Amino acid sequence: MKNRLVWLQGVTCNGNSHSFLNLPTLSSFLQTFEILYHPLLPSLLTLEQLPDANPDILVVEGGLRRGWPKADTDLFDLFMVLAQRAKRVVVVGSCAVYGGIFKEYDQEITGVLFDKEKKSKLYDQFSHKTINIPGCPANPEWIAFGLESDTMHLDDLHRPKELFAVTVHSGCTRNEYFEWKVDAKGFGLKEGCLFYEQGCQGPYTHGSCNTILWNEINSKTRSGTPCFGCTEPTFPQKDLFKTKTYMGIPAKMPLGVPKRAYLTITGVAKSFFIPRLNKRLIDED
Amino acid sequence: MKIDLLEKIEGEAYLEFKTDGDEIVDVRVLFPHFRGVENILVGKDAWDALVINPRVCGICGHAHLQATASLLESIYRIEITQKAQLIREITRFCEIIQNHLKWCYLVIFQELQIPYDFTTMHQTIALVNKLLALFSGQWPHSAYAIPGGVTCDPTALDIVKAKQIRAQIQSNIFKLFGSFEDPKKLEKDLKKLYETLHAKDLLSVGIGLNRFITLSQDSYVENVKILNKKKRKTKLRYIKEIGQSDSYAKNVTYNNRFYETGPLARLLQNPDFFIRYFYRKYKDSIFTRIIARIYEINILIKKIEHHLNSIDLNQLSVVEIEKKDGEGAISIEAARGSLVHKAIIAEGKIENYSIITPTQWNLSNGSSDNPSSIQKAIIGLQDRKIANLIFRSFDICSVCTTH
Ligand code: SF4
Ligand code: SF4
Repeated sequence: MKNRLVWLQGVTCNGNSHSFLNLPTLSSFLQTFEILYHPLLPSLLTLEQLPDANPDILVVEGGLRRGWPKADTDLFDLFMVLAQRAKRVVVVGSCAVYGGIFKEYDQEITGVLFDKEKKSKLYDQFSHKTINIPGCPANPEWIAFGLESDTMHLDDLHRPKELFAVTVHSGCTRNEYFEWKVDAKGFGLKEGCLFYEQGCQGPYTHGSCNTILWNEINSKTRSGTPCFGCTEPTFPQKDLFKTKTYMGIPAKMPLGVPKRAYLTITGVAKSFFIPRLNKRLIDED
Repeated sequence: MKIDLLEKIEGEAYLEFKTDGDEIVDVRVLFPHFRGVENILVGKDAWDALVINPRVCGICGHAHLQATASLLESIYRIEITQKAQLIREITRFCEIIQNHLKWCYLVIFQELQIPYDFTTMHQTIALVNKLLALFSGQWPHSAYAIPGGVTCDPTALDIVKAKQIRAQIQSNIFKLFGSFEDPKKLEKDLKKLYETLHAKDLLSVGIGLNRFITLSQDSYVENVKILNKKKRKTKLRYIKEIGQSDSYAKNVTYNNRFYETGPLARLLQNPDFFIRYFYRKYKDSIFTRIIARIYEINILIKKIEHHLNSIDLNQLSVVEIEKKDGEGAISIEAARGSLVHKAIIAEGKIENYSIITPTQWNLSNGSSDNPSSIQKAIIGLQDRKIANLIFRSFDICSVCTTH
């Protein structure tokens, strides 16, 4: 028997629906499910028929809010009905996980299990069958993993450790520059690390953007854009293209690294000047 | 009054029909959702808009990103290198192509119940987004266009890879639609589409205002309005946005008149034989609108080839900039038509931000003597199912419209 799937959209930009459509193996992947409802893909039911659906897996994209119209029902009521019936709830994207970006405008929007980093009122009722796949949007391969696997090690925010135990920093092509504390000095270059000036949050953001690449090919930091920490409940922070510093030291340390250790290591690293890391790669011989 | 829910349009909308017997005598489009993006921006650092604005929309976020970057560039009074310009156009054209493919198959073919090759369609979409991400880091929601240029620093290797992916996309598009060589001999899925609409007697329905507008200027389009085949330059200051009490979408006019924006408007700018053929035959009907969108895929994939061959990798990706305060307005072509961003920046922070999206142009609510393009296309019909299909022929985006 195929698992019956309903993909419910709350307060969202549809980014996760579109991200999921980039899954390279989507055609064969979909064969293993019965799509009762998806906002883009061919489905058996219409939105108006959703209150009668009986899904095995409920996917939630977008924040929850009472009073948000969804066909003839209220989004919140529709969520409750479907989530109670579902065997598993897979929450995709940072809006559905924590409330997300639109919460900045409307405080009443929440995630399913969390409201920012605090447990929501629904936590006790649904946490036993819910997993969170944050990201703005979530990578399609993370979503596919969430839909397929039911044996998971979850962290405190209900994120699968297989995907979120690593940081975005892991696998970034700029790591050598990070180690020797060579700053990117600006944007538009392959050389240099974006942590010291440009606001990169990779070292303290849980996510596999640099180990499971985006669109099979790239990542933000590889293409010169800082990581904005979109998988964390703190997203979106302010002044995203600048690194906040205290007396020249980044205000936030890489995950698990004590400030003293960081200062000692960077002090030593900085005292060596590595000519190779201070030239354009193409100029090196 | 009869109310239909329209779904699978990047969100939802309601169509409120006024009928006399069976005849539709008036129609209004109501958008029930609002997420407050313009409000979220106020007080933030101007550059934070580069991260927030793509979240207006999951399918054309990249156009919102580029509009934001260009808007800040207009306020800072800087020009980017030709390399950055070409890279931005390549990625934006990719976003438009993947939108058109999704709309063609998941909306139009689905609605008309025309069978299609899901695997090839899907692979093509994933490949287009891969080509996009090769430069932009990821799709959706990258922030690689910044004031001054692009954050990426592609190598000759990336360009070679990009050319290979592009060639594969081109061959998939041929597999789906044929060569677009002769409008009298449509091939493959285009033929199926024509035959289905022909059998249902729908080729000439849904004629709109026959007034077109594109507000942007790049290597592909000019900022012109087209009236009776005559082109006139447009200026952003003639745009007016007016709120409505019963919908979260605002009406938008140019010089107090409604216009149609989108692929058909873009293609009619040029003496393009393929689209002109259908335009002469069926006017600005549902079929011309659909075929224009599909045909644009073919045009843009060739533009991308040209751009990939023209990039000079020795140029800078980002030019030096000086941040300034001020006021600006910019338009950029998104998949569905001209997208306008306006802002006031004071002390580096956003004081005001305003977004006008393509769907607002096409789906405004006018009056019976001054209808919008969609209203004109619907009024007088007997069948609400056909009216729904005509709505979809405009490629509606609810999330964009209500931002
Ligand atoms: S750019 Fe960011 S993710 Fe990459 S090495 Fe530097 S800090 Fe780490
Ligand atoms: S690199 Fe950072 S901001 Fe970008 S998708 Fe990954 S976690 Fe989100």
